[in-house]
Amino acid sequence: MISDPLTVITLIPILVSLVLLIVPKITSSAEGLARASRAISMGVSLGMLAITTMIFFGEIGNVDWSNYNSGYYLTNDPVALIPSIGVYWKVGADALSFPMIWLTTLLIPISMLVEWDAKKGHLFHPLILMMEGALIGVFVSLDMFVFYAFWELTLVPMFFLIMIWGGEDRKYASMKFFIYTFTASVIMLIGILVMYLYTPDVASSGSITGHSFDMSVMVSSTEFIPSEGLRHLVWLLLLIGFATKMPSVPVHTWLPDAHVQAPTAGSMLLAGVMLKMGAYGFLRIAVAAFPESTVAFIPLLIFLGMASLVYGAWVCMGQTNLKRMVAYSSVSHMGLIFLGIATMQPLGIAGALFMMFAHGIISPLLFAVAGAFKHHYHTLEIGSMRGIAHHSPWLSAHMMLGWMASLGLPLLAGFVAEVTILIAFWMSFGWLVLLPTLTLIITAVYYLTSMQRTIFESNDPHHGILPDTLHGEEPRDITWHENAGMIILGALTILFGILPFIFWDMMSEWSSGFLLETLVQAMQSEGVKP
Amino acid sequence: MTSLGQLPLDSDTASSLLPETVMLVGLIAIVLIPNLGDAKFRIPLTSVRVPVLLGGSRFNMTNDPRMPNRISNITFLVAFLSSLVLISESPREVGGVLMADGFSRIFSTMFLGALLLVSVATTHRIPAKTKAPIPEDSDSKATVDRKISVLIDNRRQVDFYILLIMVGLGMSMMTMATNLFMMIVCIELASLSTYVLVAFHKESPSGGEAGAKYFIVGSVASAIGIYGMSLLYLWSGSLDLDVLRESWQAMDGVDPFAAFGIGMMLVAFGFKVSAAPFHLAAPDAYSGAASPISGLLATASKAMGFVALFRVLVIITVPEGAEALWMVALGIFAVVTMTWGNLAALTSENPKRMLAYSSVAHAGYMLAAFAVVGSGISSTEESVVILTAVTFHLAVLVLFKLGAFLVITHLETEGKGHNIEHLHGLGNRDPMIAGSMFLFVLSLAGVPPLSGFLSKLLMINGIVSTSASTGSSDTSDIATWAESVDPLFWLAAAIVLNSALSLFYYLRIGLVMFFEEPASTKPLKAAPSLRMAIFACAILTLLCGVGPVSEWLLDLVNGAIDSFMHQV
Repeated sequence: MISDPLTVITLIPILVSLVLLIVPKITSSAEGLARASRAISMGVSLGMLAITTMIFFGEIGNVDWSNYNSGYYLTNDPVALIPSIGVYWKVGADALSFPMIWLTTLLIPISMLVEWDAKKGHLFHPLILMMEGALIGVFVSLDMFVFYAFWELTLVPMFFLIMIWGGEDRKYASMKFFIYTFTASVIMLIGILVMYLYTPDVASSGSITGHSFDMSVMVSSTEFIPSEGLRHLVWLLLLIGFATKMPSVPVHTWLPDAHVQAPTAGSMLLAGVMLKMGAYGFLRIAVAAFPESTVAFIPLLIFLGMASLVYGAWVCMGQTNLKRMVAYSSVSHMGLIFLGIATMQPLGIAGALFMMFAHGIISPLLFAVAGAFKHHYHTLEIGSMRGIAHHSPWLSAHMMLGWMASLGLPLLAGFVAEVTILIAFWMSFGWLVLLPTLTLIITAVYYLTSMQRTIFESNDPHHGILPDTLHGEEPRDITWHENAGMIILGALTILFGILPFIFWDMMSEWSSGFLLETLVQAMQSEGVKP
Repeated sequence: MTSLGQLPLDSDTASSLLPETVMLVGLIAIVLIPNLGDAKFRIPLTSVRVPVLLGGSRFNMTNDPRMPNRISNITFLVAFLSSLVLISESPREVGGVLMADGFSRIFSTMFLGALLLVSVATTHRIPAKTKAPIPEDSDSKATVDRKISVLIDNRRQVDFYILLIMVGLGMSMMTMATNLFMMIVCIELASLSTYVLVAFHKESPSGGEAGAKYFIVGSVASAIGIYGMSLLYLWSGSLDLDVLRESWQAMDGVDPFAAFGIGMMLVAFGFKVSAAPFHLAAPDAYSGAASPISGLLATASKAMGFVALFRVLVIITVPEGAEALWMVALGIFAVVTMTWGNLAALTSENPKRMLAYSSVAHAGYMLAAFAVVGSGISSTEESVVILTAVTFHLAVLVLFKLGAFLVITHLETEGKGHNIEHLHGLGNRDPMIAGSMFLFVLSLAGVPPLSGFLSKLLMINGIVSTSASTGSSDTSDIATWAESVDPLFWLAAAIVLNSALSLFYYLRIGLVMFFEEPASTKPLKAAPSLRMAIFACAILTLLCGVGPVSEWLLDLVNGAIDSFMHQV
């Protein structure tokens, strides 16, 4: 039906958003255009969602995901971009990237829906659309140069989303966000360049440098890097880039600021997809290219994962700001992904993949709830309102579902990921599993207290305690579009909690294939038991 | 050698020198056209009056103060396009001292493009006003000053553009010179004109200072270079580059005449490319001159120095498969230059000085690439890639370095631009201009997928692929590898580290543009053609970084350098 669907879903949103951003500059008729550009953005993003959903069901591209084999699907004929240095437009998807692609196309219309009435709508929705193209570009591109270009491009719309629609400290937050992630990706670029300079000679294909940016070539030719020390160094450079994006302790400090200041839709995309870029890149590039280094640095991974998990949870307990708490809980959950990879078990890696996906639908729900609090109660202080279930029943219901999903209640999506990672961790490291497990109790503590104090715990059976910021006005419950977005996210949380195998099967196939192909040999040579 | 009197001016030769011919015609036109008048000559004994056009009262149309600018724009546009077309023509020797080939046409296209941008930008930097009232007794002092400055600006329009065309003529002839004498004469033609252009606003204190400094240091450097050239003449008896190359290859050991001659010429060219320690006049000159002229110095004038390096270092002195005499010295100068430039740029509060120091740093990167070509361990193919990278870098530098100076020019039209505070809040005042500026500084820093990255990648790639294979590969220890690898590898490392360092001051420009509050929220003065030039630079900066345009340019440059290296 569509010959090259991945190129379409990457480029169409970017092109449409550019047109929508530039046209108002020319015509300068404000109000009607804002509505039109909002509707067009939503229409395009829904179209993209339809395409990815049809790809999943095999309607487009005839891919049978339920019978997943290793290798890329939906690849295109490479289009030369700069053949002189070996840059081609080359896309493809596998079980690592496809759930992320689908998640992106899903979250974009939902985040637009939640902020349907955003100010300066003629800029807001097109920027989110540009974000969609950039994010999908990161996940589909099989050329490192293009990958890096999209990686940097995601910064641009997010920077403006925080900068223009953010809270009071938006300047500080957007600057910090930009400097942190940009510096990290420059460090990563150095690593990528070293990999590039050691790709085997492909001068016959017209590359005057004799090297290629083709991702599979770069990843598979790291044995040409002359010394193991240099390989370790490159791995560490890549780790810095990816860990900052994820983010992992100690390079996580941009995240809470960015989240607290970002508009709701920005937070949803930041937590839902952008953080996963770090984990995706780490698996796709760092682990795949340097399996020996990954195995050698397992203790470091465990340390980083554990530190993020424990520190994130610990800080959450002391937070009084709802959004900051949710942000730190993201840090904590991202730590679990490192732990899952560090297990070197198919189950653990599949659990990490499922964590990426599950956190990708739960955390947007959490941020949508937090955003709604900010929107309707004008405050995010946990202690300043109590018993709001009386006033905002829908919001309270969503909050409860989101909080429960995030703390890992069985039959909700987060549980599947957590429990598989913990099982794999036990299989690899035995009783050390107690540490992450006990930390999950802390998670339950901070979620339950914050929920109890906010939704319930009002002495008056018919009335809650409202924050001062409302100045005595009666709060409204959430608007229809906020509600619709949250209902979809909540329903998906339940759906993937009960039927995780929708994506789980292909993830676990991918993980065992990945482990067999790349990691087992490295583990044997390093003397680590599989 | 054919003497100039026997210059064969057949139609083929004339067409291969088309850009220069166009500039010559433009030069004559720019003198004549504003002076056209209605004077008539009566043929004696008759009443027939023949218009002689010169003298009498001038025509209103041709006497328009904006006329020189228009003539200069058209001249440079035609010259630029004809030079672009001539790139793929087969090489042609003219008069024994000039060689019009792809290599020289690449550079002359680069220079003429830069001059076209400068000429267009100056429309707003030194504006010509058709209404220029004469000051009256009743005017206040400020009004009188303003009116006089308008009158002066109108009066000196033609001076500026004559000098600009002279620069173009000198530069584009220089690219073709195959004889050292011819080369020096052309460089001096261009340089002397730039000295005056730097000091063009002599009434402002910084303009006079900049011009004086630049002139004194520049002429001392030229004198040293010419002295070195005379030593070379004493040694070989000829100034023809091919003869010099043969003598150099036949030289047994190192002849002190030859070595000192080359060394002294390096001083002159080092000044032109603003390499440390000969760069000290550059920041003052750049900050004192009008921004388009600073941009010219940072792009075309620097590239001219590199053409001279190409001719003198690569043609004369690179031995086959052995280390060139100057390799170590050039490598050390390169590292010092880039580090000094970046460190100094970090502390600059004047964006023009900052760009000047960043230009010094870029000279360092390119000198590092030259050092590798002279190392003798690079094959011809690798040398071609490295020199392609240098040439490509010089070409795209015209887009984003000059583009950045054009943005400063835009600020200068309202009397600002010499302090970083004037960039504050540009993002609020004019998002498109601020966005373009951000694109320029990112490209200067070498962020993919902009064109600055492509050239830097090619350079680093050339250096690493030449040197990294020399390291021992059987060791698992990085320290052993680091000790065994050829020192040239560390040039690549120095470029990478310096680029990382440079990010700080480049990003600072972006940060102040988007985060600081502007002193006034008024939009910038209207300057349509300047804006157009800036946007053209910004779009091309992006297009030359990725996609078919970059590929086309790279192919063009690569082909030219390839034939250049194989004719050696």
